[in-house]
Amino acid sequence: MSALLEVDELAVRFDGEVDALRGVSFALERGESLAVVGESGAGKSTLALCLAGLIQPPAARGSVRLGGQELLGASEDTLRSLRWETVALALQGSPFNPVVTLGNQVAEPLRERRGTSSREARKRADELAGEVLLDPAVLERHPHELSGGERRRATLAMALALDPDLLVLDEPTGGLDPVTGSELVERIGELAAARDFGLIVISHELAGAAALAQRSVVLYAGEAMEAGDTTRVIGDPAHPYTWALVNAYPVMSTTKDLRPIRGLPPDPRAVPPGCPFHPRCPQAEDVCHEQRVSLEPSRARLVACHFGGLKTLLDARGVGKTFGRGRRRGRLKALEAVSFALRQGEAVGVVGPSGSGKSTLARILTGHLATDTGEVTLQGRPLVRSWGRSARAERVRIQLVMQDPWDALSPRLTVEELVREPLDLGAGDGDGDGDGTDDRAATVAAALESVGLPASGQFLGARSHELSGGQLQRVALARAVIVEPELLVADEPTSMLDASEQARLMVALRERQTELGLGLVLISHDIALVRKATDRIVVLDAGRVVEEGRSERVSSAPRSLTARRLIEAAPELRHTDESGDREPIATGGET
Amino acid sequence: MAMRLGSNAADRSGSIATTGADAQLRRPGRQPAWTLPAAYVVTVLALVALNFLLPRLMPGDPISALYTEGTASYVQDGGQREALRAYYGLDEPLGAQFVAYATGLVQGDLGTSIRYQVPVSELIAERLPRSLLLMGTALVLGTGLGVLAGAAAGWRRGRRLDRGLLVGFISLRNFPVFFLGSIALYVFAVKLGCFPLSGSSTPFVSLEPLARAGDVAWHLALPAGVLATEFATGQFLLMRAGMVSELGSDHLLGGRAKGLGDRVLKYRYAGRNALLPVASLMAIHVSAMVTLTILVETVFRYEGLGRLVFDAIRFRDYPTLQGCFLVLTLMVVTANFLADLAYRRLDPRVTT
Repeated sequence: MSALLEVDELAVRFDGEVDALRGVSFALERGESLAVVGESGAGKSTLALCLAGLIQPPAARGSVRLGGQELLGASEDTLRSLRWETVALALQGSPFNPVVTLGNQVAEPLRERRGTSSREARKRADELAGEVLLDPAVLERHPHELSGGERRRATLAMALALDPDLLVLDEPTGGLDPVTGSELVERIGELAAARDFGLIVISHELAGAAALAQRSVVLYAGEAMEAGDTTRVIGDPAHPYTWALVNAYPVMSTTKDLRPIRGLPPDPRAVPPGCPFHPRCPQAEDVCHEQRVSLEPSRARLVACHFGGLKTLLDARGVGKTFGRGRRRGRLKALEAVSFALRQGEAVGVVGPSGSGKSTLARILTGHLATDTGEVTLQGRPLVRSWGRSARAERVRIQLVMQDPWDALSPRLTVEELVREPLDLGAGDGDGDGDGTDDRAATVAAALESVGLPASGQFLGARSHELSGGQLQRVALARAVIVEPELLVADEPTSMLDASEQARLMVALRERQTELGLGLVLISHDIALVRKATDRIVVLDAGRVVEEGRSERVSSAPRSLTARRLIEAAPELRHTDESGDREPIATGGET
Repeated sequence: MAMRLGSNAADRSGSIATTGADAQLRRPGRQPAWTLPAAYVVTVLALVALNFLLPRLMPGDPISALYTEGTASYVQDGGQREALRAYYGLDEPLGAQFVAYATGLVQGDLGTSIRYQVPVSELIAERLPRSLLLMGTALVLGTGLGVLAGAAAGWRRGRRLDRGLLVGFISLRNFPVFFLGSIALYVFAVKLGCFPLSGSSTPFVSLEPLARAGDVAWHLALPAGVLATEFATGQFLLMRAGMVSELGSDHLLGGRAKGLGDRVLKYRYAGRNALLPVASLMAIHVSAMVTLTILVETVFRYEGLGRLVFDAIRFRDYPTLQGCFLVLTLMVVTANFLADLAYRRLDPRVTT
């Protein structure tokens, strides 16, 4: 007995130039469920149409086998007999004939395909409506008289009319309010369990898809990027794309500001060569735009990445540092066996009270200070601590933004010189590929504008004492990112700034981090601030890691005493307009 | 009790649990049933006034011929001319004339034709059925042909059938109706001699009812054919365009996914929806159809209402003109009304 559905190297190219799908393979058995997720334009809906043989060669290539029957190239009669009986599509939008009542349309497959009498078919339609929690009275209406939720449920009822073996739902909750959406998702889950059909959910709605499907496939530009158990793929993404997609998706517990995936989805007419995601990927290397990728086993799932998924950018293992000499008295154990890792493009917050070793850690991570024990590696290579000329190219990969910009930036240099200095230094050791002065000026201007500063003559000629703390800190940020580092360490970057300047700096910082795909270590005692900008938080106390976890978890349900104290001490404003003495917003109407 | 927007909609939704937003979105309040007929009544009243006014705005008047020296009907005696004017009430002020006209209209009296010296109602009663027969036949044939051909062409867009039909209909459309009529006359009546040259029936013969019907149909064939062709070209293009835009629709895709047969998809899914613009434009085109009918009747010397209008205009026969215009405008308005009703039945989304 062959599988219910086998899709093998399915590729769809419209008009000979628009690549909608570029080789997708998966299989599904009865009773299984699969979510196909991805951004708009990833080829999801095209895939749905292929599963019912609605796209045929020459546009479609590869193979789609339904119960062993090949759909691509099958005769119209074969396809007609399979459609709705074996595979039913609940298409997105309104797949209803606008001039026919819903009841007639739900019953239509029964009448037309099974020869059921009108009355019987209509009776069955009422039953089906009941099964999807739709009032049968709704079936008397025309499609335009339905709300979005009713229409989705009616679509589902229609798809179930012939009791198909495989049900394909395209955006089942698209455009629905969350209450209706989750009701519908729950109902679909129950139906799938009761009727034991194969279920494919196509959606950009991660939560709905994750709730419905045991397995997930992530599509990008018509290629599968990651596939495996939903709990792994969505819960702990391995592919940089999945990771970015999940990070862009707001859930109730999200504390971090929403972050778009940098760049834009590719034009299906000109999909990038190699890995299609490489222009947006924070860890792309030469191999990524040279060689195509295919799904390979990695981290208990399939990942289409030359590196098996997200690389570890920074790995600190057992880092210890003791200051002072002699015996007990003069000695200060600043750090003790501190370990944590940072993945490519990830932002990690290091929080802790004063004296917990945060700044020491910052200096070690940036290679300014040697460790006593343990090791720090950047992309698998130990940090270079040499100040020699030859080490410079290595050193620029990690940049530091310090607490006090007046201290950190020379008061003798103008803004332009400050921002440009790293370029000039870099050019000296052979890195400079003949950068003209004009190019550099343009780079400096671009760097300044990217952090929200003017690149005008007056500002370029200003010195540090003429600028506000916020402006100066952003100059420091521009100076750090101009060399396109891989890791940015920010040590209390906003402690000298007022709230508004702090917000502005954080926005610039986050924006630069996303656009450049940087790793970020944000060191602060302000957990309220850190949780807004980071994916994970490491809590330090007395030189040890006392807690580590996702930002939303650490900041809402801390396990360590230190974290709890930091949260309690975090700033809070009492808003008086939430006392509830105002009338609730009127609903419906007045008498 | 709370008065809700679209409360009848909320009632209809019955016991189903929906959010408040759903209930409010559901259907806009229907307009009361009388608004549509009322609008038509107002239109008719305005048209009655225009019917009276328009003929009188044209230069000349029914007895201007009597004033023109050199014409056969020239009346020498000035007093007699004035007497004639007074006889037809043409010396009275416009307001008084309108009152007389309106009073007559209410009593069902359309006046007496100045040219034919018979009551206008009799003239119309004689001519109207012929025109209706001509228009009706042409409308049914033309629309049927245009819609079916349009559906067939649109469904097979870009194929040979489509291209053939498209070229054919567009070429036909480029002929003015009188030109098409002249060609038809030349080919079928003059050269082939299979249809009569003019008239709506063979005069001065008494025939059995069946033979009479055949005679009428024989006379009808050419004008109705030309008029039907003219109607069909418009409907064809509309239907084809509607069909083509239906090809990419979600519901057609949905229907295909349901494994429905080609005929069901073509007619029930694409065809019915493509028909909507055809129906709505038919309402707009009714007046153009009347004009076309007048032209065709003139070309074929078909004794219908159009010919009557044509002659009445030439002789400034005010009562006949008023009567004919009234009947024609009523026809247009009625046709519009019917098209409106038909559209409502075709498209459940229309509520206003």
